[in-house]
Amino acid sequence: MRRPKKYESGEATQYISRRAALRKLQLSLNDFRRLCILKGVYPREPKHRRRAQKGSSEIKILYHTKDIRFLLHEPIVWTLRDYKIFAKKSGRDRAIKDFRNLKRRLALFPEIKLDHIVKERYPTFIDALKDLDDCLTLLFLFSTFPSLHLIPREQSNLCRRLTIEFLHYVIASKSLRKVFISIKGYYFQAEIKGQKINWIVPHYYPFKPQSRQEVDFKVMSIFVEFYTIMLGFTNFRLYHGLNLAYPPQFPSGVLQDNDETLKDESSFVSERIAALNFELLRTDKLQEDEEEPDIDMELLEQDGDSKRIIKMKQDAQEITRLRTLFKGLKFFINREVPREPLVIIIRSFGGKVSWDSTVFSGSTYDEGDESITHQIVDRPSLATQYISRDYIQPQWIFDCVNQRQLLPTNQYFIGEKLPPHLSPFVDAKRDTYIPPEERALHDPSLIETHAQSDDESEEETAAQEEEEDAVEQELLDAQLQRAYQEETAEYKKYGGADGVNEDEEDSDDEQLYEDEDESDDDEEEELDEKAQRLLEEKQKMSVQSGKVHKVNKRQVHKAEVDEHRLQARMVKPRHRNLFRKLIREKQSKEKEEWLLRKKRRNIDTDAKEQKKTAKRDARKAAAAAAAAAAQLGAK
Amino acid sequence: MAAQDSTMKRKHISKKNKSAWRKTDIEDVEQFLEDQRQEERVGTFTDKQNEDLFMVDSSPEKSAPSVQTVKQKRKLNALKPMRSHQALENTSKVQDPIVKRNHVRPMKNGRNIELEVCSPTKGRHRQANRDRGLYYEKLDQRLAARESGKKTSKIDKDIWQEEDFRDNIPGLKDKKGWISRDLAVHIAGNVGRKVVKTHASLHHKTTKAKKFEAPHPGMSYNPSLKAHLDLLAQVVDREEGIIKKEQHLKRVTTSMFSKVTPEERDSRRLQEMSEGIKADGDPQSETDNDEDDDRAQLAATDNAYQPINAPVENKKKSKQARSKELKQKELQRLHEAKKALKKQTADLIRIKSIRAELNEEAAELNEVKKRRKSKAERKKFETKRLGRHKFEAPDLDVNMADDLAGNLRNVKPESNLLTDRFKLMQKHNMLPTTVAVTRKRSKVKRFPRNSHKDPGVSFQDLRDQRKAAAAAAKANKDTIKI
Repeated sequence: MRRPKKYESGEATQYISRRAALRKLQLSLNDFRRLCILKGVYPREPKHRRRAQKGSSEIKILYHTKDIRFLLHEPIVWTLRDYKIFAKKSGRDRAIKDFRNLKRRLALFPEIKLDHIVKERYPTFIDALKDLDDCLTLLFLFSTFPSLHLIPREQSNLCRRLTIEFLHYVIASKSLRKVFISIKGYYFQAEIKGQKINWIVPHYYPFKPQSRQEVDFKVMSIFVEFYTIMLGFTNFRLYHGLNLAYPPQFPSGVLQDNDETLKDESSFVSERIAALNFELLRTDKLQEDEEEPDIDMELLEQDGDSKRIIKMKQDAQEITRLRTLFKGLKFFINREVPREPLVIIIRSFGGKVSWDSTVFSGSTYDEGDESITHQIVDRPSLATQYISRDYIQPQWIFDCVNQRQLLPTNQYFIGEKLPPHLSPFVDAKRDTYIPPEERALHDPSLIETHAQSDDESEEETAAQEEEEDAVEQELLDAQLQRAYQEETAEYKKYGGADGVNEDEEDSDDEQLYEDEDESDDDEEEELDEKAQRLLEEKQKMSVQSGKVHKVNKRQVHKAEVDEHRLQARMVKPRHRNLFRKLIREKQSKEKEEWLLRKKRRNIDTDAKEQKKTAKRDARKAAAAAAAAAAQLGAK
Repeated sequence: MAAQDSTMKRKHISKKNKSAWRKTDIEDVEQFLEDQRQEERVGTFTDKQNEDLFMVDSSPEKSAPSVQTVKQKRKLNALKPMRSHQALENTSKVQDPIVKRNHVRPMKNGRNIELEVCSPTKGRHRQANRDRGLYYEKLDQRLAARESGKKTSKIDKDIWQEEDFRDNIPGLKDKKGWISRDLAVHIAGNVGRKVVKTHASLHHKTTKAKKFEAPHPGMSYNPSLKAHLDLLAQVVDREEGIIKKEQHLKRVTTSMFSKVTPEERDSRRLQEMSEGIKADGDPQSETDNDEDDDRAQLAATDNAYQPINAPVENKKKSKQARSKELKQKELQRLHEAKKALKKQTADLIRIKSIRAELNEEAAELNEVKKRRKSKAERKKFETKRLGRHKFEAPDLDVNMADDLAGNLRNVKPESNLLTDRFKLMQKHNMLPTTVAVTRKRSKVKRFPRNSHKDPGVSFQDLRDQRKAAAAAAKANKDTIKI
């Protein structure tokens, strides 16, 4: 038997250095880089570097040998080699000025085809959606680029087109969930096919040149090349899922053709599409007003009313309410406000929006329209104002979406100092201590009570403040009314927030009433036994005074403790440590929260005490002064 | 000028001989006389009619010589036989002595493509013709598409639609199920449409870190105070860590060495480098250095070589000494064996404590194992080392309190999204961390042009100024201030 040599098996053969890979694939470094990015083959870190590098300990870039062997069979390797040949031949033609041949060659430029690679890297559509985060952010960024050294203009134009198409889908499917303005840009979160997709849109500022020291533009451009193809296919599938025509078109009624538009129809249409303000052409000819793509929550009933199902139901309700958040509202965007993010948000929650027609094409009504309910303004003051509408700052829109309800506009009026813009990516219902100020921001009802309590404590109130209060009260009333309407609508849809039991009861009641009506009608003709019995029951029915259900606290506590013990006993021995750890963590968290709360309480009581004493002192001083005055008067 | 010179010269030629007179140039006079005589014979121009002087050119006009461009000339020249072949041409006027010579056709190297195209005889010729036809068809299509200016969308199908490879190859799909899947795969491979399966490691994730990291709430354009302070605290923490590391490095490296002035450093270096070099034949240095002086004197007295160590002697051991040594060795061995036996018996009593020791060792090992496991788990979330450079997380983006405007109009964007994406890709092990290298440019000394120089001050100016100042001072001294 041959003696086995060193580095002929094991880790040394699992890895291959980049240099060796280049030699194996017969490609230049640039081509290899491109191939790897397109195919999604990335360098690896070995477990034992010395072994993988056949004894050398310097840090090399290594790849899996299997990956490289996989690349060997890729058809686009041939296209990359064709590029090399093309460059040589066309270069020769150019040098000897053989332009006829050059023209022929340029026409037959070998085009790279990436369809099969997209399918290969993302075997299912959901896989592609999962990887859309990076893709969207990069394309939104590239769509703002001018033509640069390594980034051709067609690429940034393509990025712009694809991202606009995607936004149209988001609007049509109403899948936007969260929005956030950060110093980086606008964060958006959409939920498509159950996948949460996040992307960042840069702020709308002029392009800033970037130093080549930090970023390898060539590499980024290759990533973008792949991502454009991927987003194209994703858009195709998404559009067809909604029965929209792809590439997006308008129904014939929308566009009014005139001489100018006919001259350059394609650019006109693309500009209109970029306006994001019109419905797209559908392929099914059936305009459905209210789609119900949600899963029927009633079908999940078999598992019983577990907490998770209740939560899911609540979420579904919340989302249906969110999808029509701005329905019936009409917005007008002022010139200084960034148009695109606001248009996306407003339109994907059912609102109508327009802007000054000189800013961008696609505006549908002008500022003078009396039916506008909200005008979005971002300047300290405005010369001409209409009484019929609210002048609000753009943050209102973002906060409304994140809170999933229409907030009172008074805090967002023109020139007002805005409340902080909270991140929707932080769970507001997290079980740690949340200071009352932050909680108030999440729950506007708390603000009102705070304000009112403050007002009560302050004895002297000016007339102006009263007026303001009245305005606020009206707003509050409107808010309450709207909320009530929404609730009733929901109630009709889902039969109450608590569950189905009530619903059943209701239906029973209704049946009963119907029966009664029937019995009334037939009373004179003949009295069935059944009807008679019902009548008797009805006569027996009476209203009794309700009893307050008393909760035995001790019993409840005991039950809880018992349950906890049972839970602890049910835990498998191998999970015991984990369970203990979780319990310990929970306890420490509770303790921390309790401590913070206590601290707060102490601070509050101290403040109250001080206020009281101050007031008492003031009153005493006033009384003393009055007495002194009286004495003086008596003298 | 030359003619004038010659006439000027001739003036000075002496005409004393007859032969000298003969050399005189009288051609102009003769010419004049000849013209006069001809005029007398034929008459002057003024006497003649136009018709006598001129005649109408009735011959067909010659075509103007065609003006050829360089390019056209080059093309015409290209048609001519090559210059280098001219030597091979038979220019002899001698007739070929053999009247009927058998014409031998030279063997052509390579194929006659033209013939193959015009009259294909073999299958491959026909195949080539077909391929060429396809090529030109494609070319025409592309050119037509380019001229029409319409872009056809490349994306025209749903690639995620479930699709069976057997549908595309006729005969593979039968309703009776006679052809198994394996067989179908085999046939597809042989037909030329191989069914390729991607290996699973392509879809393995190399990091467990989250793809999307939610922004810190303090990064809001209008953050709440708590969130902003929290973010600032994070930034400060990081910065402090960096400063601490820097200080540590400085302490460990730079401040470990004592500092000296540059002069002292130079002198030390000189001394160090000239260590051991004898300065002979230099009387000054001898007088300067006492030690050197002594050594030089020693060297002068005896020139013999003197080693530093004492000479080695080869001492032989006696027989007795050797036997003694052996005996000692044997004794030592016995002593050690005895000791080991004693220890063994003693260990029997120590069993309990040994067990405890073993347990302790096992516990320690366990601890190490645990630590390793947790480290491996942690490593799964970290960025891997793919290249020479280690990944360093970028700085946190934060707006300082002064920069927070509180409204969307005046927001100050803080981060660079492109850099951010690039770093994220590096973090997720998609790109090896690299450092851009720039080529060093050769140093070129640059001077401003004189015309672009600021007006400088010359010594002359300075002297003038000084003089003027002195004069003014003197004048001031002379005048009496009131």
